[in-house]
Amino acid sequence: MSSTAPTEIPTPLIPLLSLLSSAFLTLQSLFHRIPGSPIIVRYIKSSYQDDPYRSLLEVLLLAFAVRTLLQRRTGGEAEGKSFIKLTAKEIDELVDDWQPVALVEEPNELDAMILPTVPTIYGPNGIKVKTSPTGKSLLNMVTPNWTGLVENERLKQVAVETLHSYGVGTCGPAGFYGYIDVHMDFEQELANFIGTESSITYAQGFAAVSSCIPAFAKRGDIIVADRGCNFAIQKGLQISRSTIRWFAHGDMADLEKVLQSVERDLKRKGGKLTKKFIVAEGIFENDGMLLDLPKVMELKKKFKYRLMLDETYSIGMVGAHGKGLTEYYGVPAAEVDMIFGSMASSFGTGGGFCAGSSVVCSHQRINSSASVFSASLPALLTTTSSTALSILLTTPTLFTTLQSNVLTFRAQLSKLEAVPSVPPTSSPRPSLPVLPSSASSTESIPIGAQTPNKDAIIQIPSHPSSALMYIFLLNPPSTVEEEEALLQDVVDEVQTNGSILITRARRLRGQETFEPEPSLKVCVSAAMGKKDVEKAGQALRAALVKFCSSE
Amino acid sequence: MGKSSRRSTATSSTTPSITPSARSAFFNSKSTPSPSVSEQKSARTSLINVLSRPRPTSAVSHLFAVSNEGFSPFDDDFDLSDQSTISSYASSISSTRHPSAEDVAQLYKDYLDKPFVNIKSTFKHSEFGHDNNPNWRWTSQWNPDEPIHPMVEIQPPYYVLLTTYISYLMFIVLGHIRDFFGKRFVPAHYAHLMSHNGYAALNSDFDSFYTRRLKKRIDDIFSRPVTGVAGRSIVVYDRYSNDEQDTFQYTGGKTRALNVSSYNYLGFASSSGGCADAVEVAIKRYGISSAGFRLDASTLDLHQQTEKLVARFVGAEAAMVISQGFATNSTTIPALVGKGCLVISDELNHASIRFGVRLSGASIRMFKHNDMKSLEKLLRECISQGQPRTHRPWKKILIIVEGLYSMEGSLVNLPQLIELRRRYKFYLYVDEAHSIGAIGPNGRGVCDYFGIDSREVDVLMGTFTKSFGAAGGYIAGSKELIDRLRVRSHAMCYAESMSPAVLTQIIASMGSIMGIAPPLASPAEEESDSVSIVSRHAVYGPAPASSLPTWLTLPTTLLNGTEGRERLRRLAFNSRYLSSGLRKLGFIVYGHRDSPIIPLLVFSPGKMPYFSQMMLKRIGVEKTPIVVVVVAYPATPLISSRVRFCLSASHTKNDIDMLLRACDEIADVLDLRYGKQTMTVDEVIASAEELVAANF
Ligand SMILES: Cc1ncc(COP(=O)(O)O)c(C=O)c1O
Repeated sequence: MSSTAPTEIPTPLIPLLSLLSSAFLTLQSLFHRIPGSPIIVRYIKSSYQDDPYRSLLEVLLLAFAVRTLLQRRTGGEAEGKSFIKLTAKEIDELVDDWQPVALVEEPNELDAMILPTVPTIYGPNGIKVKTSPTGKSLLNMVTPNWTGLVENERLKQVAVETLHSYGVGTCGPAGFYGYIDVHMDFEQELANFIGTESSITYAQGFAAVSSCIPAFAKRGDIIVADRGCNFAIQKGLQISRSTIRWFAHGDMADLEKVLQSVERDLKRKGGKLTKKFIVAEGIFENDGMLLDLPKVMELKKKFKYRLMLDETYSIGMVGAHGKGLTEYYGVPAAEVDMIFGSMASSFGTGGGFCAGSSVVCSHQRINSSASVFSASLPALLTTTSSTALSILLTTPTLFTTLQSNVLTFRAQLSKLEAVPSVPPTSSPRPSLPVLPSSASSTESIPIGAQTPNKDAIIQIPSHPSSALMYIFLLNPPSTVEEEEALLQDVVDEVQTNGSILITRARRLRGQETFEPEPSLKVCVSAAMGKKDVEKAGQALRAALVKFCSSE
Repeated sequence: MGKSSRRSTATSSTTPSITPSARSAFFNSKSTPSPSVSEQKSARTSLINVLSRPRPTSAVSHLFAVSNEGFSPFDDDFDLSDQSTISSYASSISSTRHPSAEDVAQLYKDYLDKPFVNIKSTFKHSEFGHDNNPNWRWTSQWNPDEPIHPMVEIQPPYYVLLTTYISYLMFIVLGHIRDFFGKRFVPAHYAHLMSHNGYAALNSDFDSFYTRRLKKRIDDIFSRPVTGVAGRSIVVYDRYSNDEQDTFQYTGGKTRALNVSSYNYLGFASSSGGCADAVEVAIKRYGISSAGFRLDASTLDLHQQTEKLVARFVGAEAAMVISQGFATNSTTIPALVGKGCLVISDELNHASIRFGVRLSGASIRMFKHNDMKSLEKLLRECISQGQPRTHRPWKKILIIVEGLYSMEGSLVNLPQLIELRRRYKFYLYVDEAHSIGAIGPNGRGVCDYFGIDSREVDVLMGTFTKSFGAAGGYIAGSKELIDRLRVRSHAMCYAESMSPAVLTQIIASMGSIMGIAPPLASPAEEESDSVSIVSRHAVYGPAPASSLPTWLTLPTTLLNGTEGRERLRRLAFNSRYLSSGLRKLGFIVYGHRDSPIIPLLVFSPGKMPYFSQMMLKRIGVEKTPIVVVVVAYPATPLISSRVRFCLSASHTKNDIDMLLRACDEIADVLDLRYGKQTMTVDEVIASAEELVAANF
C-alpha cells in the first residue's frame, strides 16, 4: 500500500476517482438546497482543495466513521434462522410461565462431605497448628511449606518494615501507578534466581497461570498438554480456544507420538505456520509426579514447540537451591520459554509469577488480563519474597534436610506400596538425586522389592524427591463416595491418634477436565523434625492398615 | 451562587502558561477584572473564596498574618479546625498586600508533605491530607431528582470526531509505512514478530500493531514506576527514553506528585495510623502467609472473622473472601452458571467478568451500557425464544452488572434493575469492585446508595483493593449460596488463601467505616453467622465488638466510626465538587456526579500524552505535579480517549482546587473545552459548596 508513489495516480484508479468526484458534486448540489449549507460548503472547499487524494481519504474516513457508528457492540447471536416472531402478549405469557431453576442446586453427597471436614486453624499457620482455640497442637502436613518459610521471623520483620513505608494495598494495577520499585527489584531478583532474562509478578498464582496461557495461545494455535495438568492450566487452555491435544500423563513416548501426529496433520493441511506449545508441570499438583524435563526439551526442540512449564510446586522444593526442575536436571532455565510459579507455595508469601525472556514478560504486561486488569501484588508480599529468595540461596541445607525428611516419611509407607520407590529404611541419600531416565518416575528407581508386594494397599505415584505426596488406594471401594468416606476415616484417625493433620485431596468434581481419583494429600517440610516425620509416617501407616486392608 | 457565565476573568487568558502576574491577580479575589462578578458575590461566597486559599505557614506567614487577633500559624493546637482560622485569615487577607508569584511558589513548596497548619496526626499529610472544614463534606445518597444515567451521551462537536478519526488514520498509515521500511532496513527490531527457525512469531505483527505503533509512541505515560504509598500523593521515578520508548533510563530522581489515579477512595492506603498498626500486630502474631488452599488447612480463624464482618458490612447472610479481585469473578462465575444457562452482561463489564463467563460455558448476551430499555427488550427476546435452535427454556438467567463502572464513572440503574428482576425472575450479580466503601451514606455500596435491601441482589461481589487499601475480593449472598460456592469456586479449592496481613487491613478499615459498638450493646449473637431478619434495621449499624479479633486494638476515632464517617463524607464532597466543577469549566465529563471516578473526555489521541506530561510538569505557579491516568482504545471506545481521575477522601479541597486550576490551564493549551464553559475557575472554586449542593 505504501509502495505507490504519492505523486502519480495509477491508471486503474482514475475512473474510480472521477466517479467519486462526480458523486461528490451531485451531493454538493443537493446540499445547496439545504438551508445553512453554504457554510458547510465553504468549510469543505477551504479545507479540502481540489486534490483527488484528499477526497479519497475523506470518503474512506467517512466510511470508517459510519461503520464504527453503526457497529453495535451489543449484537450477540440475535435473530438467527430459528428466530420465531411472537406478539407482545405471547411474550408476556412466556415470561410468566418461565420458571428458572434455583441459583444453586442442593449439594450432592460428595460435596456435602467437604465443608464439615475443613479444619479451621486458630492462630498462625505453620508446622504446628491448632484446630480449635484450646486444642492440642497438630503436625501440619497439609500446607505447602517446604522450607519452613511460612513462620520465618526474618520475613515478618521485613514485612513490618515494608508496611511502614508502603502500606498494604497498592490501590491500582501495574499500568496505573501500581508498579512499585519493589516489584521491579523482585522481578529482576527472581529472574536471576531462576536463570531467565526477566519475570513478571501477579497478585495470585492461580490467576497467573490461567491468564498467562491465553495471553500467548490463541485460536488456531496448537497446545499439546499433559493430561495430568492442574486445574489452573486446564482453565488457561479453555480460555485460549486453541486446539488442544492431550498426551498420557508423564508418558514421553506418547508425547512424541502426539507431536508426530500434529506434524503430520499440519503437513497435510499445509497452511501457515502456527504457534505450538507444550504445557506441563514440574511437579504435578494432582499427584506429585516429576516431569522428565530433558526429554521434553529434546522433543520441544526437535518439533519446534515452545514450552510452558508450571513450576508452582517444584520451585522452592527441588534442586540444590530450590530453583526448581531446571536446576534439578541442569537444564538452562532460559531455554524453557515460560516458567509459571507461585510465591505462595514456593516462598511462603503470596502471589504468582511468570519467568521468561523479556519479550515474553513485556508481552504479558499488556496482554495478560490478570496482570492488566488487576491490582498489583501488595508490597509486603513482594519484599518478603525477595528476602525468601536470599534465604534459599544462602541456606542449601534446607533442601538436603527436606529430601531426607521426604525419604524418612516415604520409607514408613513403602511396606504398603505395590512397587516401592523408596527403600524401606532410610539409607544415606546421594546428595544429588538420581536422574530418572525412562518415562514414568515411579518406575525409574526400582529399589527394594521387585516382586509384587502381597501386603500392598496403597500406591504413591509421587516422585521420591517430591515433598508433595498423594496416596491412592490400590483396592478402593466400589463408589467414589465410599472411597472418600474411607479416606476421611484415615484422616480423622491420624489426627486423633497421631496428632497429625493431613487431608483428602480436594477436587472440584464435575468441573475438572479429567476426574482425578480420590486420594490423600501429604506435604513434608524441612522444618519438621526427623522424629516427627517418622512418627507421622508410622501413624499414617497404622491408620491405612486399620481402615484399608482388604478384609 | 456566582452564576455569571462571563469568561472575561483573568484565567481565561489564552496564553498557555499562567504568567506570574495573572496568577497573583486571580489569587486576590478583589482584583478580578470583572467587577460585576465580584459584586454579585455574597459575603458568604467571598468568605468561602478566601477559605479555599492555602493558609499561611512559616516563611510567608508574615505576608498574611500581620494584624490578627492573637492567632499564630505556629499554633500547635491540632484541634484548631480550619474554620477557627477563618476570621483571622480573612482579616489578614484584607489588610495585607497580595502575594507575588514567588510568595505563592514559596507557600506551595513542600505542599504535598506539610499541611498549612501544624497538626498532630497519626497519618502523614502526604498520604492523607489534613482538611478540617466541616463545610466540605457531603453525603453520598441517591437523589431521585437527578437522573441515574443520562438518556443521551454528551457528544463533542463534529470537528472533534473528525480530527480524532483523522489522527487514528494517520497513526495507522504512518505505522504501516514505518513497518514496511523497518522490516527491510532494521529486521533485528522485528525478529520477535516474524517466524524464525521454524517457530511462528510469538506475537504476530498484525496483532501487535496497535501496541507497537500507537501505544508505544506514548508509552512514557503508562506504567510509570512508583514508590511508597499510593495515598494522597505518590512518588514517581523520573525516567526518559532515548530510543522512542523502547527502553527507559532512570535519572535516579523522584518526583512527589498529587495522586488522582489510585483507587484509594477512602484513603486507607497508609503506612501509618491505626490500620497499619493493627496490621503490624497481625504480622507479628500470624506471619504473612496462611499457606495453601482454603479447603485444605489454610482457613484461619482470621478468615472466618473477616468473612463475618464482610457479610455484616454488605448486609448479606454470609460471605467468602478470595485472594485476588480478578480471580473472585473469574473463578466464581463458572461455579454459578454453566451449559444451558444464559448470562446477560453489560457491554462495558470488566475483563474479569468476561473471563469468568467464558470459562463457565454459559451462553452470553450483552446489552447497551446501563440501558434498561435495551436490557428489557433483550430479556423478553431471550426468555421467549429460549435456547438457540432447540428453543428449550433457559435453566437460569444471570445478569451481571457493575455497581460503579471504572472507566465511565456511571452508576448502575439499580432501582430499575430490581423492578425488572421481579418481573423477569433472573438472578442478579453486582460487581461492586469500585462502589463498595466509596458509595452510599454508610459506604456500603450501591444498595446503600439507592436505599435498596441488599438481599434483593442475589450475588454481591466486591474487592478490597480499592476503598479498603488491601487486596483480594469477596462474594456475599445467602448462606446457601456461599456454602455452595465454597466447595465449587475454583479459588477456594485451588488458589492460595488470603494473607493474614491483608485480612487484618480489611478488618481494621472495614471496622472503622462501620464503627464498633461497645460490647454491652451487642446481644448474644456471636454464634450465628447470619444476619437474622429481626436485626435487619441494624444491618448498616455498627459492628459488635465481638466481630473484631480480641488482640486487635484500634484508636478511638476509628473505633467509634467518626473517622470512617468523615472519610465517606469527604470523598462524597470531593467527587461531586470536581465532577461539577469540570462540567462548569466546559469539559465533557462522563459519569454520575456522586462517582469518585471522573472521566474527562479528551477524544483526540494526540492530546493524551500532552495532558499527562503537562500535569506532571505543571506550568502553574505553585507547580505541584499531578499524576493522572489516561485511557484509550481498547479500554474505551475508539474515539472517546479520556483522562480518568480517581478521587479519595485523602484529598483536601485545596487539592481539588489545584486540580481544577491545572485542568483549566491545560484546557486552553490543548483546546479541551468541548462543552460550554459557564464559569471561570475562580468562580468554580469560590462556589464549591453551591455546586456540590446543586442539582443539575
Ligand atoms: C469491576 C471490577 N471487578 C474486578 C476487578 C479486579 O479487582 P482486583 O484489582 O482486586 O484484582 C476490578 C479492578 O479493576 C474491577 O474494576
